[in-house]
Amino acid sequence: MSSDRHTLSGAYAVDALSAEEAEEFERHLEHCPACRDEVRELQQAAAQLGASEAAAPPPALRARVLAAADRLPQLPPRVTPLAVVRTRRWLPRALGAVAAVVVLVAGVAFGIHRTQQPDDHAVSGRNSRVFHAGDAETATLRTPRGTVSVATSRDLGQMAVDTRRLRTLPGHRVYQLWTVHAGTATSAGIVPPRADGKVMALPTAGTTVAITVEPAGGSVAPTGRPIVQVDPDTV
Amino acid sequence: VAEPGLRLVPAHEPPDVDHLVGRVAVGDAHAFELLYDELSSAVFGLARRVVRDPARAEDVTQEVFLEVWRKAARFDRALGRARTWVMTIAHRRAVDAVRRSESQRRQEEHQVTVSEVGRDEPVDTVLEAEERGAVRQCLDTLTELQLESVRLAYFNGYTYTEVAALLEKPLPTIKTRMRDGLIRLRDCLEGDR
Repeated sequence: MSSDRHTLSGAYAVDALSAEEAEEFERHLEHCPACRDEVRELQQAAAQLGASEAAAPPPALRARVLAAADRLPQLPPRVTPLAVVRTRRWLPRALGAVAAVVVLVAGVAFGIHRTQQPDDHAVSGRNSRVFHAGDAETATLRTPRGTVSVATSRDLGQMAVDTRRLRTLPGHRVYQLWTVHAGTATSAGIVPPRADGKVMALPTAGTTVAITVEPAGGSVAPTGRPIVQVDPDTV
Repeated sequence: VAEPGLRLVPAHEPPDVDHLVGRVAVGDAHAFELLYDELSSAVFGLARRVVRDPARAEDVTQEVFLEVWRKAARFDRALGRARTWVMTIAHRRAVDAVRRSESQRRQEEHQVTVSEVGRDEPVDTVLEAEERGAVRQCLDTLTELQLESVRLAYFNGYTYTEVAALLEKPLPTIKTRMRDGLIRLRDCLEGDR
């Protein structure tokens, strides 16, 4: 984060950026939790400033607004957190069509190494059952933050993700898993700190699994681009 | 003035705006009415301050509440208080209205000097309107440049580039003054609570 961008938080909070600058700053916010906190606080101060100008509107406006709302459908809750990511670049365009197992963000393709058995790195703990199932399919995926091993077992109906060789995150960040179907990401839970990884139900066909880095406790929607995305069908 | 042992309580608790927005999110029209009653003065007052024309401020107020109605289910408490969310929408809508229709006027105002701006919209007028004591007191803690920067952006709808031109200061200075001015306001208001 450049300090120059950081100082835009004040101008952003009072809507003093051009549309282009505001958009760029919002993209920056997606990756800067500290900036989001600051913006939230500055917006609150600005809101108090605004409220200090309070003046009662003409009484007739009330009925007009209520009547208009009555005719206006409401938006459903956001279950398309991809809008937060603001780019569909990481959507699995090529998945299914290509043998590639991994679609990595920003259009960078990373090498992938397939194995029928867990590789030299011994898999233990919660992940082991899936990795050692008779019908286990496994893959090792390189990501910008280290490698991830993935195993699927149709017999068990489970998918296991071994995250031990991903870079250790600072205490306030966690890895979070998502199932992504038709452009909608649904949380599959966080990888608890110090855990080996995570076992989840085997996603249905056409659903991919993505991993993002989120604030501790996880997010309701991805706040950043996935470090890796896997189509379990191709594992 | 209370008797010893007695406690003054408000006649009725002000409604919890976060709670109301949660109910609006599930289509509760009554909650929407209560929300309007609670926030319409703040929204309308801000809109009128920014767009100047009361009739247009009414339109902006309507737009704001309709956006709140539409998007209530998407309000994320993790991102702040509902009251702030509504006021942020209100400010954005008001500023959009100003930028849309007054770009011509704005271009002309680029030419005016700082002293003319000061005469047109003296700080005293703003402060006189700050009958909410806390905000007024806290604004007094800002430096003149912080106050001018925040005020011209927030109440006049200028971009920081325009504010820099008006005040004849470098862009980075204005950016920084907006930020540290708001930080000072935030800290002062927090201390007040």
